[in-house]
This record gives sequence, structure tokens and C-alpha cells, in this order.
Amino acid sequence: MGYVAIKGGGRAIEGSHAAVEALRAAEGEAGTPLSLSTIENQLRLLTSRVLSEGGLYHPRLAALAIKQFQGDTLEAAFALRAYRSTKPRLLETPVQDTSRMRLIRRISSAFKGIPGGQLLGPTYDYALRLMRLDLADESSEAFRAVARRFMQGVPDTALPDSFPKVVDALRAEGLLPPLAPRTQEAFDITREPLVFPVPRSAALATMARAETGSLLAIAYSNMRGYGDVHPTIAELRVGYLPVMLPHPVTGEPVEAGEALITECEVVAMYEGNNSDGPPVFTLGCGACFGHNEVKAISMAILDRALQKGMRDGPRNPSEDPEFVLLHVDGVDSMGFASHYKMPHYVTFQSDMDRLRTTQSKAKASAKGVLA
Amino acid sequence: MTTETHFPRADWPRLLCALRAGEVRAAAERCARELSVRDLALPQSGLALLKLRDGALAEDYFLGEMPLARARVAVTTVDGRRAEGAAQILDDRASLARSIAILDAVLAGGFPGCETVEPLLEQGAHVLERVAAGRRALLAATHVDFSLLARTDDEEDDDA
Repeated sequence: MGYVAIKGGGRAIEGSHAAVEALRAAEGEAGTPLSLSTIENQLRLLTSRVLSEGGLYHPRLAALAIKQFQGDTLEAAFALRAYRSTKPRLLETPVQDTSRMRLIRRISSAFKGIPGGQLLGPTYDYALRLMRLDLADESSEAFRAVARRFMQGVPDTALPDSFPKVVDALRAEGLLPPLAPRTQEAFDITREPLVFPVPRSAALATMARAETGSLLAIAYSNMRGYGDVHPTIAELRVGYLPVMLPHPVTGEPVEAGEALITECEVVAMYEGNNSDGPPVFTLGCGACFGHNEVKAISMAILDRALQKGMRDGPRNPSEDPEFVLLHVDGVDSMGFASHYKMPHYVTFQSDMDRLRTTQSKAKASAKGVLA
Repeated sequence: MTTETHFPRADWPRLLCALRAGEVRAAAERCARELSVRDLALPQSGLALLKLRDGALAEDYFLGEMPLARARVAVTTVDGRRAEGAAQILDDRASLARSIAILDAVLAGGFPGCETVEPLLEQGAHVLERVAAGRRALLAATHVDFSLLARTDDEEDDDA
């Protein structure tokens, strides 16, 4: 009997598709459809979020998904994941060197005078959180003049595209753990299920495409006290990573394109009882597609927390790989929450039957006690 | 093998990708009219899995996937000279990768038509320079000058 309603819902479902489209175009004659370029540029941080949570660096498709799902980041990321599942995997890139990123922003809260200097780049960090009411009625002319005016006012300074990493300087001073020889292949979360314990590369890959709010919430629990990471941001970088692939004919590395990436390394308190050598700072690393600083910082904090949990056993939720990695994926968690909207007529009928039976038994039992 | 351009071969795909796809396709079609083009591999579009080395402990991991199109061709001139060309680009248009692969072969072989591709490379270089200048401007305008802070500290010391 439970299937009857689903059969009868076909027309209603079609109607719901039309209804949601009607709301997208509810401005009617006065409206203008959003261009993908507009979304990609003017809503660049939203596009960034969908790119990274979808796990696919395709800004144009991310913009399309945002348009199609009317700004719902979870659904948009889901659409990107669905798209990627229809495409063949052609290759795995060689390891890419993020120190070659063409930076647009780079800061450190550890040192004032980092090699190459602090470059604030595009950020709201120093802005007052006051509404700019002039944007509510911005003319096309004023809008077009913004970039032009910016370029005219920029000082003529010779700056390189890429900069050395702060952690490399710390490592050269012996303040960081020495780099161990690499023994494990990187874990591919798109092909292998997470069966715990998982290697650190599985944790990094899972967090790189995790939902921003979920990562932030668990990292925040650690920062507030359910954990012991007191991080200092060694470096936060935003920039375009040139992706180098070997030329199929010559074999020499050729730039196939570039991807906007946010990368963060945090330094946490040193550990003093390391029997392998002198005490050194501990580190966490975060990175994601697009410009998403909160996500990269949260990931770096959780990376450091998970390293501790993997080594000593978890003492807090944020140190438990199973807890963190199985609860931060937006598509998984949104799917689970949303599935409760689907018909559960049969299971709920069964729940009601059991409740009524239990109630009858309880009543009978109460009568027996009274008798 | 002669090369009629001062741009290194490793830069050709990047320079051509900076242009509108229509321009690149048209140039490849023009060159192909005078040449015989054979696909050595079927042009494909799909995904590449991006591998990074983490900045903390230098372990390899995958950040996510990117669109990738690739093609490989052999180009032969009417007088029998042959060159291979290929392209792998972060794009989902296999036809664009094939066009770039043809131009790669034409330039690598110094074949007829390469003189028409050279201006395209120049044009691509200009586009990329404009993009780079925009990014440099973001950095230059926001470069923190701590010497001003030191001067303020000195002034405060003087006041005291």
C-alpha cells in the first residue's frame, strides 16, 4: 500500500520542478537572468565554496550549479559531485608544488617580517561590518569604474608572483619536525571507502572537500576547549597554482592550467617529551579549492588535532578521525537529513502498530495491577 | 626540428588557452587545410586528480579533481615532413585540446602556417601579462609597510 502515494505523486513532482523554476524567475518582465560570469566574479566566494565542497575545480559549472539551485551551496556541491561521477578519470597529476602559487594574498600571524612581506590582498578582515548602502542602488557605470580606478591607483612596485613558504624558514631553523621519508601512496577517497584507521592523506582529502560549516564547527569545539590546539597561523596563502603535466611528446613539464587555491599551515605548541630528538613545534595543514580561508584554517586545526588522536587515541571529538571524517561531508550529511522528507509511510505505520500494541499491553497490565 | 617562435614549447598550450577558443580552432583549421592530420590518440575529455604535498609534513594527498582534455596528433606536410603534437589542458573541450595539439605540431615542425600561429602566441602572452598585472596590483596595493609602524614607535618614544 505504501507505493500508491509515490505513483500518484508523479504529476505533483513535475509541478514542483516547474514551481521552483517559477520562483527563480519570479521577477518576471523586470528580471534579468544571472550570467554564469556574473556569479563566478561577483559571488566569487560562494563559487569558491561550491568548488571545494563539490571536489571539482570547475568555476563555470560551480556557477551554473549555484544558479540552478538558487544559491543552495549543499545542492550545488551535490550537482558538481554528480557531474564528476559521469566523467572518466584520465590521469593523476604529478605532485604539484604549492610554493609556485601565483599569490593574491599571503599573511602570517607568527612573524611580522616574513620573507617577501605580508600581502593582505583582497580581504574583509580589516573592514567594518557596516552595510554599504550605496551598493543597493549601484549603477552600471559606477560598477565598471571600480576595477579601472583600482588599477590606476596602484603603486608601481616590482613584486614576484610567488614567495617562499614560512614553514620552510622555520624548518631551516630546526623548530619544526624533520620531514620523514614518504612511504605511503596518497589515499583516493573517490575510489576507496574510509575504513578506519585511515592514513593522514585520507583525512586531508576528506577535509579538503568537506562542508565549510561542519569543519568550522568541529574545529571551533577544539579551539574553545574540547581540545588542545592553540594555533598560530604560520602562513595563509591564496593564489593560483600552476598545474604542471608532462608534455606527451617531449616529456617536459608543461602548464596545463591553473587553479585558485587557499592553503594554510598552523603551528601548534611544541611537544617536549619526544624521545626521537629535541622538542619541536607541531604542525597542521589545510588547503582547498577556491578562496575559503575559514575552511583552510579549520582544516589545519583539525589536521593537527587528528594527528594527536591517531597517535595517542582521541580525547575529544575533534581528535577522533571517525567522528570528524564521517560527519563533515556536506553531500553525505545533507542527503541523510533530506532523506527524512521522503515517504516513510510503511515504517511509520509499523512504528504506530508497535506503539498501539505496547499501549494496549500497558493498559492491560495496569488493569491487572488494579484488579 | 625548427621552431619559428621565441616562446618555449612548454608555454604554447598556456598561451593558446589564454585566447578565445574560436580563434584557436580557426587557426588550427587553417593550418590543417595544408597538412595531413592523424589522431594518435582519440581526443578525450575527463578529469585529472590533483595531487599536492602538504605544507606541514610533506605527505602527498589529493585535493580534488579538475577537468582535463587531451589530444595527440601526427601532422605530415605535402613534402612528407612529419611532427607530433599534443596538448593536455585543464578544460573540458576535447576539440580545443585537439586544435592546440595541431598547432603544437605545426610550431614544433616549423610547418607552413606556423607564421600565423606566432602572433597568436604573442596575443596570448599579452592576455596573460594583463592577468598577471592585475594580480600584482592586488599585492602591491596591500603590501604592509612595517617601517611606518617603527617610525610611529620612535615618535612615541620621543614624545615620552
